[in-house]
Parts: sequence; structure tokens; C-alpha cells
Amino acid sequence: MQAVLASTKAWVGRPFAALTVNQRKQLGLFALTAFIIVFPLVHDNDGDIDSMANAAAYATLALGLNIVVGFAGLLDLGYAAFFAIGAYYYGIFTSFQVMPIWSSFWNPLAAIGLVEKINQGGPDLVHFTLSFWLALPTAAVVAAFFGVLFGAPTLRLRGDYLAIVTLGFGEIVPIVARNADTLTNGAAGLNGVKAPSLFGASFGVDATPYYYVGMTMVALLIFISIRLRDSRIGRAWMALREDETAAATMGVNLVRFKLLAFAFGAAFAGMTGVFFVAKLQTATPEMFGFPVSTMILVMVVFGGMGSVWGVVLGAAILQLLQSWFLKDFSGWINALGDMVGSSFLSNLDLVPSMDLIFGIILVVMMLFRREGVIPAKRRAPLLNFEAQHAEVTRGGFVHLEKLPKWQPSAGNALEVRGVTVKFGGLTALNQVDIIVPAGGVVAVIGPNGSGKSTLFNAITGLVHADGSIRLNGAEILGLAPHEILDRGVARTFQNIRLFPNLTVLENVLIGQHSRLRTGAFAAIFRPPATNAEEAGALKRATDIISLFGNRLTPRKDQVVSGLSYANRRRVEVARALASRPKILLLDEPTAGMNPAETLELAEQIKSLHKLGLTILLIEHKLDVVTTLAETVMVLDHGEKIAEGRPEEVRRNEQVLTAYLGRAVREAVKAEAIAESEHAETVGAEALGAESSNVE
Amino acid sequence: MTAGDLVLQQAINGLSLGAMYALLALGFTLVYGILELINFSHFNVFMVGSFIGLFVLHALGIEGQSVILSGLPLIGALALAFFVTMMTTGMLGVGIERFLLRRVRHVKGPAAMITSIGVSYVLFNVILLTLGADGKNFPNPLPPVQFAIGGAVLRLREILIWIIAIVLMGGLTWFVGFTRMGKAMRATAQDPEAARMMGVEVDRVVMMAFFVGSALAGAGGLIFGLYYNYTGAAVGFNAGLRAFTAAVLGGIGNVPGAMVGGLIIGLIEASGGQLIATEWTDVVIFSILVLVLVFRPAGLFGRVAPNKS
Amino acid sequence: MLTRRSTFKAVAGVAATAALGASHSAEAADQVVKIALEMSFTGADATAAVRAAQGAMMAIDGANAAKTVPGVKFEYEKFDDGTATAGQYDPAQGATNARKMVSDKQIMASVGPQMSGVGKAMSPILSAGSLATITPASTNPDITDPKFAAQYIPNGKPVYFRTVATDAYQGPNMANYMAGTLKVKTIYVLDDSGAYGVGLADAFQAQAEKKGIKVLGRDKLDPKAADYSAILTKIKSLNPDAVYYGGVGQAGIKLAKQGYDIIPNVIKAGGDGMFGADMLTGAGFPAVEGWYATQASPHVVDDPKLAKWSKAYSEKYKMGPDDYTVTSYDAALVIIGAVKSLKTAGKPITRENVRDAIHAAKVDTLQGPVEFDANGDLKNKVISVFQIKKNSDGPLDDPASQYKYVGVAPTV
Repeated sequence: MQAVLASTKAWVGRPFAALTVNQRKQLGLFALTAFIIVFPLVHDNDGDIDSMANAAAYATLALGLNIVVGFAGLLDLGYAAFFAIGAYYYGIFTSFQVMPIWSSFWNPLAAIGLVEKINQGGPDLVHFTLSFWLALPTAAVVAAFFGVLFGAPTLRLRGDYLAIVTLGFGEIVPIVARNADTLTNGAAGLNGVKAPSLFGASFGVDATPYYYVGMTMVALLIFISIRLRDSRIGRAWMALREDETAAATMGVNLVRFKLLAFAFGAAFAGMTGVFFVAKLQTATPEMFGFPVSTMILVMVVFGGMGSVWGVVLGAAILQLLQSWFLKDFSGWINALGDMVGSSFLSNLDLVPSMDLIFGIILVVMMLFRREGVIPAKRRAPLLNFEAQHAEVTRGGFVHLEKLPKWQPSAGNALEVRGVTVKFGGLTALNQVDIIVPAGGVVAVIGPNGSGKSTLFNAITGLVHADGSIRLNGAEILGLAPHEILDRGVARTFQNIRLFPNLTVLENVLIGQHSRLRTGAFAAIFRPPATNAEEAGALKRATDIISLFGNRLTPRKDQVVSGLSYANRRRVEVARALASRPKILLLDEPTAGMNPAETLELAEQIKSLHKLGLTILLIEHKLDVVTTLAETVMVLDHGEKIAEGRPEEVRRNEQVLTAYLGRAVREAVKAEAIAESEHAETVGAEALGAESSNVE
Repeated sequence: MTAGDLVLQQAINGLSLGAMYALLALGFTLVYGILELINFSHFNVFMVGSFIGLFVLHALGIEGQSVILSGLPLIGALALAFFVTMMTTGMLGVGIERFLLRRVRHVKGPAAMITSIGVSYVLFNVILLTLGADGKNFPNPLPPVQFAIGGAVLRLREILIWIIAIVLMGGLTWFVGFTRMGKAMRATAQDPEAARMMGVEVDRVVMMAFFVGSALAGAGGLIFGLYYNYTGAAVGFNAGLRAFTAAVLGGIGNVPGAMVGGLIIGLIEASGGQLIATEWTDVVIFSILVLVLVFRPAGLFGRVAPNKS
Repeated sequence: MLTRRSTFKAVAGVAATAALGASHSAEAADQVVKIALEMSFTGADATAAVRAAQGAMMAIDGANAAKTVPGVKFEYEKFDDGTATAGQYDPAQGATNARKMVSDKQIMASVGPQMSGVGKAMSPILSAGSLATITPASTNPDITDPKFAAQYIPNGKPVYFRTVATDAYQGPNMANYMAGTLKVKTIYVLDDSGAYGVGLADAFQAQAEKKGIKVLGRDKLDPKAADYSAILTKIKSLNPDAVYYGGVGQAGIKLAKQGYDIIPNVIKAGGDGMFGADMLTGAGFPAVEGWYATQASPHVVDDPKLAKWSKAYSEKYKMGPDDYTVTSYDAALVIIGAVKSLKTAGKPITRENVRDAIHAAKVDTLQGPVEFDANGDLKNKVISVFQIKKNSDGPLDDPASQYKYVGVAPTV
């Protein structure tokens, strides 16, 4: 028996085993498509088909919200507002609700079938007759416009504030729909919304044609979602979701991409609104309230935030559960109750408990499976021993030929003059000047809190500063961080700001953001130029990753949050390099690395310098500074206290006092410890402090 | 009524409403200040509070509108009702924190907020399914004393709600400002990591914030019932949303800000009903919220908690 | 086609029979006529839905017990148009339910829906399926308005019947009553933002203005808001003779409570939404004292039938009936009556026949004989006016004893 079973299994399993993962996926997709096409033909309950069509509508809504919440990480609690806008757009322009008096103005519109002249006694009136097929794309545009309109005031707001403002908009739109009754017929609901027709045949009340339209929309929006996700646009969204500051310094225009996310999310909802109202042929304000927004969010969360297939499945399961399965399930329990003679089971009705069940699902999912039914990220395969094993390499990058040569222009790459930064009453930087010659390496040192990182933040536009900062002679002070990156200033952060839930490869690809041109349109349609650009970007990212040899290449598909501290630092350097900077700002690049790793990275940086890259470096480890820098600048309490060649600075009395304090300085003098040793000590201390911050 | 009377009367209406929003806003602000979490379950903890108050009063034999108490019996009955309600909702809040929200506290992203939405759904539906959706007649044991100020009327219940609100808010201000636990709360709000290192038991602080916030919500729910002589399963959302708006308006995390924010929202609601139209009041409130946040993203009075992101 | 539940039962039954080895011959098979109960069992309207559904269930159980129609066994199936997504009634789910009902060949008629928004979504589908429904509660006139017939009854024949009068009568007649009998000169009009309330208040306001009553203002209450003191204070300052409220109990209870405090001496009136046990239990005396409410049916003075029915209902379901329990009970009676008339005439029980029989029905119900006009609305448009007066002899939460009949609201 078992043998038979096993052989049957093998026989059945064999064709599948031979398939690649991609082929299996294609087969699955084919089976799903076939099922969806055949379902209405073999299932005769129109109500169930209608449930499926509604599920399709919620799936498209979930896909739209997934762009806003899942991709771009903007928590939107009023998403149903855009659904309402699309719905009323179609409802108003196909019903008898708004009928202005006819004039010759309308003739051209009548000629293209948008309006018709009717007479209900009295003057001739305009009856809007917008076609469903035209309404779908135009509603997307109209809703996208409102998406941008509502999104714009929220741009400065972070997470929770954004949530509450969107919630406010979500409340306002149905209130307007309820009270602007000349437009919407208020609470009574629209009358006479036209059913779509195709080739002259009206869809009428039969659920099947709506079902096919709904399913086609889902397919289309899945396609668009995936295309966007796997493009420069999607990467930018995910970057700003993961870390807005880092995204901005990597060249992502926060304003544009947030608005783009709102626009896409709204467009999906607007289209769905048209579909929904065309199917229902009426609309009431109650269809678009806060519970709807929450429910779509629940669908996204349940399915898996950021996961395209996940949110579709989440929407389908939750919608079908409430409109179809729960009632049947209650019926089965009742029938079971009748059979076993339990009056409790016979009379149990789960349907009114639906909301309660939803609440419980939500809590349970959050506690036990936050990534949703289908997580957005699959775990990368484990590394084998060989891949895990990495030798310390010496002598800098070996395959530098993979990087283009930098051609440093003559003169100074960066001129910082009289830069002052104040935080309230505290002056973090006071009239600081730095000159970084083109092709040079300048190091900034100073005790903790001396203003080094603030200086970097001022240069990269993260804090407001006064004074002047010129890059190759052009003023960059006052520019937004992404514009500064665009002009060729890339940086790393002292406390590592990678995009933690993205892979090494994705992080490095985002580094190239401002060097790529793919827009939303190109991302969706992928003309050859876009494909070529994307292939180039991929190759370049792979090349840059391969510079670090065995350290990163085997891990390029791993999520960076799982990497070692040193590797995360390397990824950050790689990400900065990917932006093709003219000047690279490294904020304590070797912090937290052991001496061997430190030396390795120092030499790699040196090799970059040899290639012609200008580098401004913050570093605690004096040996690293000595190895790399031509000029060292010392900051203390926001002021420049010394500048010069490394060995000069190391002997500077003021510097040593600033670093060690007067008492220690005296002691150090007395014991006459060799400078190199005490450099080691400082380095080790810095290392110790850094390591305690890890994890 | 003269115009002056009308203004005075609407001010009385607005301040009573505002006092209630303020109590509820405090719970949001306490929890947000410490956890940066919009706690949606707070909406319905308020609602549950008003039902618990209802049960206590019923248990004391105070039902309908005909049982009127005065003097010591009134004070005793109210004190007992407030005590039981606040303890119960306080423990409910602690339960929600301890068994549900704590598990997702450290998760990045909206997980904790979504959990709280789920809890809110559950609370609402448990009440809905067990007690029904229709409005409940809330007893009013207060004697029908009222004072005429010109043409405006000030009723005992308004005075009562103000006194209770002032006492509770004063108590909270003292608690946050001067007790050990209050200081620990402020420290945790500033920097949980540093507070932990300085020996603050962050878990206890968070639990305490939930207890205090939920107890205040319970008190708010009971006041709601006494003031309107009405409660129902659906009262949480509307009041909660406005209270949250009040907290944001005042600068979330900022305790006095929440109080002032509550009063402002109450006054806007009253003047909206008078000057514009009731149906547009929500639009006015949310428009003001959007404007305030756009021009002063930290709220009118600034946040106390630093932006940790 | 069998429904899933009956399929399951049949399979389970066969299994059980086989297992027990018992032979079990069915009684002479009655024809099963299923009546759908389409209401909002989930969300904010759930309690009202349960009351209404129980009204219909009581009528159906009664018909089965009394074998009103020999050879026919009535069954009911609940359809819920409330969804968690909408948090309340959801027209989209109403449309889905209508399609499900049409697909279930045993369903011959339906009672429901409660909400006009759902009715608008259901009516075209029901029309296409020739399935009649009788709404016990939705009063928006659009659905049965011949102007919109092309949309709501594409099949041509009425399928949407009502055992309640539409807003088009209740409001205006009450305006006449207030102008004539109550001598109201100035009024403030409120509604609860819902389809029923807005329609009722609009119709009232239009007629009030025609009758020369000065409308001092109009406001929409947010039914979810708790506080109406601002608007009531405004009304107080305008000092109208009366306030008319179009809406249901959700806002009505709070309005009665706060109105009692702020404008105690103003005449207050509402429609049938203010007639019911929820006013008496939710707002209670003394707040509701003096409120006027209307019923879209003639009042039979001292009719013991209603009181007896009310008692039977309360005993069966452990809760008091409200006005929609009555209209829902009546709706089911009409359907049962229609089936009976088919059986008597020897016609087959088909949807088309049931639909036509309902249209032609003249059935004696709790609210008197019910007949429908050409559009499916009640022919009888008598609007009875009641005023709440505390009657300590009867239970304080029983509408029958606390609402005192004061007359008929005139049509002019």
C-alpha cells in the first residue's frame, strides 16, 4: 500500500520536480487564471460571483493602499476618501443627479458622447453620459490629483501625525458627500447611475461581466504594482519607508516620491470607485467611512504589507469570509447542531460576530505573524561555509578597474566657510572653515560632541546652517539633501543608516537612484531604454559589491539587518560609491571594526583616493587618520581648534587637551607614553564605546 | 436670549464638552508620550467605562431619571461609581498593555497601532453583541439645580463635570510632576533607553501610563453618561477621535497641551454648531487640525517627547 | 438548486439514517416556500434588525403552526447586508444578497431591507429576477418613484413593496397637523443625516413652508456625535414654537434628552422613527414627555389585537417590539397571504406569481388592511399622530401604553 502510494507520489511529483521555480510559478499562475476564468461558468450562484467581484474591488483597493503603506511606509487611515472620489466621479457624470441647462457650449461634448440633451419638461437639460471605459482612466487621474492635494500638506508630518491627518481627510470626504446633496443626493444615495456597456450590450445586473472586469483590473494592478516595485520608483519608496533621512541623502526626492505614492494609491482607489459604483448603480456616503479605510488596512496587514500577492489574498479572504463563507459556515454548524441535538450549535449565528472575528484576526496576526499571510520578503538561502568564510585582504580594492576613474577638477572640491549651526540655544558649529582640495583626503577629528557629525549634516543639507558651502565653486548650502547628492556629495553615517529590511543589492541599487532616469511611466511599460538602464544599474551594483570580495558578494541577496556590523559599514560605503560621488563623506567608517578589518577598510579607502575620489573623513582612530589623511582638522565644542598635517596635529597641545582633558594630559606627559601606543588606546576606547552600542 | 447670553451659554456648552475630551486626550497623550503609539483601544475603553459606571449605579439602585440623590448619599454614590469605574478600566488598560501591546511594543512600523485597532474592534463588538446597539438610558442622580447667569443657564452637572475634570487633571499634573513614578514616566518619555539604564523599570512605567490613562478614560466615560444621561456602544469612536485630535492639537505627549487642546475642540464644536452648521463641525475640526499640523507640526504647545526617529 | 445548508442537512441526514439503520419515511412532502430576511444584522443597526427579523419570523412560525396555507411549509433564511467593512449596512453586500436570493430557487419573496441605500442596490437585481421584497423600514421614495422606474424596476413590474409609508406622506401630513391643530407659526427642522431622516425632514419642511410656517433654520445632526447642546442652544435663542426632527432613535434619544434640558417648552415632533420602545428605554421619562410621533397607518382605537400581539412577542423573544417589528410582521403576513391566494386559486407558486399576488394582495395586518398602489407603495396613507404621555398604569417601556393617539394628520 505504502509502496503504491509512494510510487504514485513520485509519478505525480516527477513532472513538478523537473520544473524550475519560475516554471512552477508560471504553472501556478496559469492554473489560477484558468480557475478565475472558468469559475462563473461552472458556478451558478450569481451572489457568490458578485462576492468575488466585490473581493476583486477590495483587492484593487488593497493593492493601492499597499503602495502607500506597504511600499512607501506612509500610514494612511483615510484611504476610502479616494475610493469615494472615484465613485462619485462616475456616479455624478453618468446619473441624472446634476443636469445643467443646455447651451451650445455642450455641443462639442455631445459630439464625442460625453453628454446628451434631454428634456424632462421645461428647458433642455444636459445629461452626462460618461462612458465607463473612459471613466476608469480619467477617474485614476482625478483621484491622483486629490491624492497629491491631500498628500501635500502632510509631507512634513511623520508617521503618526500623517495617520491622524489622513484620518481627518477620510472623515471629511464622506461628510462632504453627505451634505453636498445637489451633487451627490446626500444620504439618500445616487439614483440612475448607468451600468457599463460593451459593444452596445449593457452589463445590467448580471454579476458575471462585472466579475471579469474586476478580475482584469486586479490582474492589471498586480502587474503595475510589481513593475513599480521592481524599479527605481519602488526602490525609492522602500528607501523612504525604511529611513527617510538616509533616503534623502541617497538622492531620493522625498516630496516627489511621497506624492507619487499618494497619487498611485489614490489612482487605484479612484478606478475601483468607478467599478464599484458602476456595479452597484448607486452610492451612499456610508460606503466610504472610517471602517472601510480600516478594513482595507486590515486586508493589507493581514495579507502582508508590501507583498503584492499577499494583499490580494488578504483582501480576497477577508471579503469572501464576511460576504460568503461565514454564513455558510454558520449554516454548517447549525446543521451539525441539528444532527447532534445541540440547541446551542443549532442556533449559533456567527454572522453578527463578524466584526469581533475581524478584531481577533487583527490582534492575532499582529502578535504572531506580523509579516502577513504571504510575507513580502523571502528569507535568503543560508550561506555555506566557504561563502561565510572571508579572509582579510590587504592592499585595497583589487578590481578597481570596474569603477570609472574620477577626474578631479582643479582647485577645491569643497569649501566650507563660516558655517554656523545652532540648535535652540546651543551652538553646535561656530564659524567653521574647511577646504578640501580636489582629489584630497581631509580628516576631521575631535572629541565626542565636538560637532563633527553636525558638520557632515550641514554639508549634506540635513540641518539648517548659516555660512557658505561650495562644491566645485557652486553654492550647495540651502539645497535639499537629494539635490546635494545629485551634485556629487555622498556620505555614510556614524550610526549606520542602511535600509535595514532591504537586501545588500537593493541598498546599493538605491545608491544609484539619482544617476538613473526611470520614471513611473517607464517603470510600468519598460521600454528597451529602461531595461538597458536597469541592467546597467544591476551590473554596476554587482561590480561595486564585488569590490569587497567575499565579504559581500555571497550575501548580496541577504537583508542587511542580518549582516555583521563591519559588513553593514561596507554596504554603506558601497551604497555611497554607487551614487558616483565627486566627494565622499565618511563618518567613522571603521568604528566597531577590529584592527585587521580597520586596516583592510583603511587601505580600501586609500585605493579609492588613488582613483581620484575626494574624501572627507571623520575618524577617531588616529592611525587610520595618519594613514589616509593629508590634512587633519580638529573640532572642539563646535570650533576649529587646529588644522594641519597629521603629525603636526598630533603634537598640538590644544588638541591633546581637548581629547584627554588636562589632568590626563599631565599624567600622559609624565609617563611619556609613546604616541603610537596612546593612539591605539584612544582607538580601542572608541572601539569599546562603539561596540557597546551595537545591538 | 441676548447675543451675550448666547455666547456665554455656548461657552458653557463648549467647556463641558472640552473637559470631557481633555480627560480622554490625557490618556492618548500619556501613552503616546512614552510609546509613540496611537492607542485606538482607548476609544472603547472610554465606552466600556461608561457602561461600568452604568452598572455600578444600577447596582446601587439608581436607575432611570427618577432616582435623585443629594448630600452625602450623592457624593458617596458618585465616589463609589468613579472608584469602581476607574479601577476597572485602569485594569482593562493594564491588561491590554500587558498581554497584547507589550508583545509588539518594540516592533518597528504600525504593528502596535494596528493591534490597538484590533483590540478596539473586539471591545466594541463584545459590548455590541452582549448589550445591543441601542442607546441606554443613563441614570441621573443629580438634583435639578441650575443657576441663571443673565439668560444663560449653568446646571449642576456642568459644575460637577468641571470640578471632577479639574480634580483629575490636577491630580495627574501632580502625579507626573512630583511623584517618583511620574518622574520615571517623564524620563522614559524622553529616552527609554537612558531611563532603563538609570534604573527605571520601563515595563512598570508603561503599565502605569496605561493604568492612569485608562482610568481617566473610564472617568471620562462615566462623566459622559452622567452629563448626557445616555450611553451606547458607539459613543467611543466619535468622542475618541475628537479627543485624539485634541491631544495632537495641544502637542501630543504634552499633558497641559492635551487639556487645552480638549477645551479648544469643545469650544470649536460649540461655536461650530452655533455659527456654521452641525453637519460641518467635523470638517471644521479636522481642517483646523490639518492647518495646525502644517504650520506647527509639533502642535500648538509643542511636544514634550523628542522625535525619536 | 439546493442551498448549501440544506445540502449539508440532506447529506448529514442520509448519513445519520444509514448509521442508525432506522427507516424513516418522510411525511407527505409540503412544498417549501422560503422567505428571505434581508437586514443589517451586523453593526450599528443590528438590534433593530433583530427586532424586525423576529417580527417576520413570528409571522412565519405562526403560519406554519396554524397551517395557514395547507401544503406549504414556510421557511426563512437570513441575509445580512451589514459588513465589517462598512461597519454597518453595506449596499454592496445588499446587492450580493439580492443575487444570492435570486439564485436560490426556493426563495419566493423577501422581507427587507431596512435601509434605502441597500434597497437602491437591490431593487434592479430583484426586478430582473422577478423576486418581490417587502420592506418594513426603508422609506426613501426614489425606489418606487415612477420617474426612476427604468433603473429600479427594469423588468417593468413593481418588486419593491412597503408596509411603511414613504417620507413623501408622513412629513407633509405632520406639517399640516402642526400648522392646523397645533397652531405652530415658527419651527426649526432637524434631521439625522440618514436617508430616512433627511427625506422626511425635507418633505416636512417643504410642506411647512407652503402652510405658512416660518422655518427658522435647518440642521443635520451627526448621529454618532454625543452632544447636541450647541445646536439646541442656538434653537433656544431663536425661540421657535416647535422643532421637527426627521430621523431615527440613534440621534433621537440624545435629542430628546438634551432637548428636555435646553428647550423644555418647545413643541417637539418626529416621524415614525421616534415611535418605539427605544425612545422609552433609551431616553425615558421625563425627557420624552410631550413628544409627538407619527405612524403611517390608521390607528384602531382600543384595538386589543395589537396589545395581545405585543405581549406574545415579548414572551417569545424576551424583548419589546418596536414599530419595525410590526411592519416586518405585517410584511411577512402579506407574503403568506399572497401565497395563500395563489394556492386557493390553484396557481403554481412561482416568483412571478408571488410578486403579482403581493401586488394584488389585500391582507389584514396589525396596521389594518394592507394594499399596494401601482408603484408598490401603501395605498392607505393615513398618518396617525401620537403624543407621549406618561401612563403609570402601563409598563413605562411599552409604546402601546405610553404613546397616546391624538388624531389623524390631515393630507391638506
